[in-house]
Amino acid sequence: MKSKKPYRSKMRILVDMMRTILEEGENGAGPTKILYAANLSHDRLTQYIQELLEKQMIAETQLEDSSRAYRLTEKGEEFLKEFARVERFSEAFGIEI
Amino acid sequence: MQDLPGMALIRFDLILESVAAIIAYLISHNANKAYHMTGQKKLSDLSTGFLVLCAAMFGRVIGTIYFFVLMESGDDVSLMITVVTIAYGGMKIMAYILFVFSTLPAKSNPIAEKGLLLALPALVDPNLDFVAIIVLLVVVLLSSRNYLSSRSKYALYVFLGFTCLLLSHLAAVLSMDEIGGYLLSQVLQFLGFLLLLVMLLKAGREQ
Repeated sequence: MKSKKPYRSKMRILVDMMRTILEEGENGAGPTKILYAANLSHDRLTQYIQELLEKQMIAETQLEDSSRAYRLTEKGEEFLKEFARVERFSEAFGIEI
Repeated sequence: MQDLPGMALIRFDLILESVAAIIAYLISHNANKAYHMTGQKKLSDLSTGFLVLCAAMFGRVIGTIYFFVLMESGDDVSLMITVVTIAYGGMKIMAYILFVFSTLPAKSNPIAEKGLLLALPALVDPNLDFVAIIVLLVVVLLSSRNYLSSRSKYALYVFLGFTCLLLSHLAAVLSMDEIGGYLLSQVLQFLGFLLLLVMLLKAGREQ
């Protein structure tokens, strides 16, 4: 039996992760929060976080309890705004991204 | 050129067509930008569709101006008129077919797609408006379905825009070369592109 879960593109997953981080505000979001919100496996989460760090969309910070948190960079915020515009444009024509 | 009757109307028509072509170019540019950001091929098809439409409209404007230049010099213009008319109609149909494929849902009916391709041989028919109407009707139905499922105001602008384009072709066919119907057709086409421009501006500005 086929899964009814809709297909999510890699771009969509990255945007979901960035939106989760944005929602957490200045303190940033921990890996567990991102993992659950973006519905990802641990391996995928590590891979995508690395990609977002390399592209300077997010920045890593060490918390006092030595855990990690991620916050959105200015470049990341700009990207999310641009993506929202693209999303509205595509949906106007019924194109899923 | 200035002394000919109806020249003001032709100038008005060419201005509307040029502005519509610029709007088509803007939409094409935005769709292309969205394609490079997301990698969604349908956005590339949409961009190409609007670019072809833009080229068709600019081609008609240039062709019409050239027509008057040839006429003033006393050259034969019949071949030029035929070439411009067929190229304009053919390119518009090509653009509308691209719109159909770009707005078709991911799991589309392959039989419907094949049915659409069967309309292609009709492209040699000099009455290209009829083919444009059939293809554009599919585009309008797809955009109406998108609006009804999403209830998004942006989708409503696209639906109304494509509906105006369809009505402009219907007005052109029904006018039977009457000047009023022809003018109505051009105004409806312009209105369609204005609605698409409003969508573009609103989608770009709102947070």
